[in-house]
Amino acid sequence: MSSSMQFYISNLLVYLGVDVMACLGLNLQFGVAGLINLAFIVFQAAGAYTAAVLTLGPSTARGGFQSYILGAHLQFPLPWLAAAVVGGALSFVVGLIVLRRLRTDYQAMVMLVISLIATTVVTNATGLFNGSNGLALIPQPLESVLKLSPVGYQWFYVGLTFACTILVWVIVRRITGSPLGRTLRAVRDNDVAAASLGKNVTQLRLIAFVAGGAIAGLSGAILAQFISAWSPGSWLFPESFVYFSAVIVGGAGNNMGAVVGAALVPVAFLEATRYIPQFGYPGLVDALQWVVVGLLTLGVMWFRPRGVFPERTRRFARPPGSEPTHE
Amino acid sequence: MSGEPLLSVRGLAKSFGGVEAVRDVSFDVAAGSITGLIGPNGAGKSSVLAIVSGFLAPTSGSVHFGGELVSGHSAYRLARLGLVRTFQLSSEFERLSVIENLLVAAPNQRGDRLRDVLAGRWRWRAEEEEAVARARELLARFEIPEKEDDLAGDLSGGQKRLLELARALMTEPKLLLLDEPMAGVNPALIRRIEAHLMALRDEGLTMLMVEHELGVVERLCDPVVVMAQGQVLSSGTMAELRANEEVLDAYLAG
Amino acid sequence: MNLYVLSFGFGLITASILAIASVGFTLQFGVTNILNLAYGDVMTGCAFIAYLVTRAGGSLAEALLAGAASGALASYGLNRFVYTPFVRRGTRMFGMIIVTISVSLVLQNGLQGIFKATFFSLALPRPSSYTFAGMIFTSQQFVIIALAVVAMLFVHALLSWTKLGRAMRATAADPELARSCGIATDRVIDVAWLLSGALCGTAGVALALNVTSFTSTAGGQFLIPIIAAAVLGGVGHPYGAMVGAVVIGLSAELSAAVIPPSYKEVVAFLILIVVLLIRPQGIFAEVATQKEVVA
Repeated sequence: MSSSMQFYISNLLVYLGVDVMACLGLNLQFGVAGLINLAFIVFQAAGAYTAAVLTLGPSTARGGFQSYILGAHLQFPLPWLAAAVVGGALSFVVGLIVLRRLRTDYQAMVMLVISLIATTVVTNATGLFNGSNGLALIPQPLESVLKLSPVGYQWFYVGLTFACTILVWVIVRRITGSPLGRTLRAVRDNDVAAASLGKNVTQLRLIAFVAGGAIAGLSGAILAQFISAWSPGSWLFPESFVYFSAVIVGGAGNNMGAVVGAALVPVAFLEATRYIPQFGYPGLVDALQWVVVGLLTLGVMWFRPRGVFPERTRRFARPPGSEPTHE
Repeated sequence: MSGEPLLSVRGLAKSFGGVEAVRDVSFDVAAGSITGLIGPNGAGKSSVLAIVSGFLAPTSGSVHFGGELVSGHSAYRLARLGLVRTFQLSSEFERLSVIENLLVAAPNQRGDRLRDVLAGRWRWRAEEEEAVARARELLARFEIPEKEDDLAGDLSGGQKRLLELARALMTEPKLLLLDEPMAGVNPALIRRIEAHLMALRDEGLTMLMVEHELGVVERLCDPVVVMAQGQVLSSGTMAELRANEEVLDAYLAG
Repeated sequence: MNLYVLSFGFGLITASILAIASVGFTLQFGVTNILNLAYGDVMTGCAFIAYLVTRAGGSLAEALLAGAASGALASYGLNRFVYTPFVRRGTRMFGMIIVTISVSLVLQNGLQGIFKATFFSLALPRPSSYTFAGMIFTSQQFVIIALAVVAMLFVHALLSWTKLGRAMRATAADPELARSCGIATDRVIDVAWLLSGALCGTAGVALALNVTSFTSTAGGQFLIPIIAAAVLGGVGHPYGAMVGAVVIGLSAELSAAVIPPSYKEVVAFLILIVVLLIRPQGIFAEVATQKEVVA
């Protein structure tokens, strides 16, 4: 296989891994627990930023052309762990303030506004976040240690991403397949009834929110170190919507659905449209991409609202010979 | 039967804005009884129920449950203490199956704790299997065992009522608050539910029932507390209440 | 020239545009409970229509009419052909949010696709400026303020003195009850969308009038302040929305005199969040109960 082909495929696989992780996290928050986290991208961005600054070193280094907070030169995998922790901690703080008994649409609005505030603040607080330029030249994990060829390093990164994706899959599966997952779904369906049965609704929502946020943070770190850059322009509200669209298309409430949705929407669709030659004027194809994402979401909501893999209930094995008679 | 009432409400009051929905309400629920709470619309029964079950904070007054002061406890804490309520409008978890609805209610499950969940299935599997067996017994008791894997949202209205009752019982409650359990239920099913409730009472479950169908109240409840305009008018057996002038006036006027 | 007084003047204009837009928004949201996140983009669309009208030689009055008419048509069409079918199909509140966001994406990017990402201004003659009590206004801005006043009076008259207005208020309070009282709620809902759309379109033209240039994201950027004004005043309460618009418009502009101007919009965002978390029913409503969508 030619080197450029290998680069292309390994790129795609890393993006796929990142998007699968993000969708699994969002599915936990939205599909399973019913939280419309329209600010999801903020938590992914926070994880990405954390990994970036914890590997870039102090901001004054290299002539201080980028300014940010908390510079350090931490060894892999610490930046990634820190990213997950930051994603989770930020979710905890936001969740404490925001996850209360609020009408669904008001709840969604609060999250949307948080996303917009984050974007404005980050773009303008140049001292903290280097403004709209973002961060560049982020070192990659273990690069100097392994001394691989560029192509070799790509495949190494694919392996790392794959390992993390598996880890996230296992964690999410354990949660959703357990009584805890069932309780989260119950809280989603009727939180008042759940409370009347002894469930601490706020705490349960926080658990889902924080877990999803930690996963988002980790996925952000993986992405940021792969492309060696972090730019506020990549973490805007519409990106959250792409993930929502993916989860809905794949099947909200179903982990396999989240995986498939990630493969279909952010990866397959956006990849496929990369190869359409730029016609019309520059930017037209991008605008049309968004139109198609919007139409696709509407189409799925109309024709198959439960997605490719709808949410499933669990069936429990019966001891032999105890089939109930049907009336 | 022990002397101490299981539930004791004293001087309960609640105002919304300028309106006094509940004024100085006091009554007891004796252990092992089915106590009725009746009154015309606007009497404040739903507010009292909401306060006792932890869904509404009272403006003043106290609630004692099993001897302990519980006023101000939130609904989920009360449920964990054994005080569970059902709802007038069907409140099943519609995207969960019938048996999943019951399993959610199983108390003190290791599988509900994140730490045990992340450790792996082996930590909580046995407990869940016990809960499944118990849930199946309840479904059989309420004569809907074949509905086990159906989505709760697909059940008929009457079946949802039975499900809600079964679900509340999964929590192994000490006191069950029933909010108009017979509302909108057809007469044949009313009789069946009555039979279930009487059997439960005979097994020692205490219940407080808010209900409009006076026939049901007559057959099931002793004593019955009557409220009107936010206050307790009287209490006693239905026969006694029927002879009470004040009560009759309240019902005719309200 | 005192910066605060100047900012106050800017605040009045912003409040006027916001007032027209948020009254429209609150009327529709109050009656149907559908959080129409595409509202801002309909505003942008009407601004573009007004642009085309002025490019073809139309006057300001004609542009305003065109804007209001296309807003009414677009909103009505959106409800008739997109939102209502989804609601009838059983889509509930959080599904509808996804639907409206999808529509917003399609509209905003569709407009960008048609008109490109460049900037536009209404092709009108340069207005003259007036100074008044330390504030600077152009004649066009006076028009905007006058428009806001007229629109508010119109809505007030409609709601208080006409049968239709009473029907709208009843439907907003309790659609089931209204229906059982014999009110043709379907027609009331249609009127709500038409009226809200007309106000939306007018606000869009006013917005275009007030800025040196606008682009396909102009209306969308105004969406959160509009929602903030509506929620602050209590959803479904047009008078509340008017008050909310004044509060938001003034605080945003006055704050720009104190904090860095690029954070101006954050003021509206923060007000909205604080209101939603502390008193979601706003100033004038009683309780923010969970209602279902109506179509």
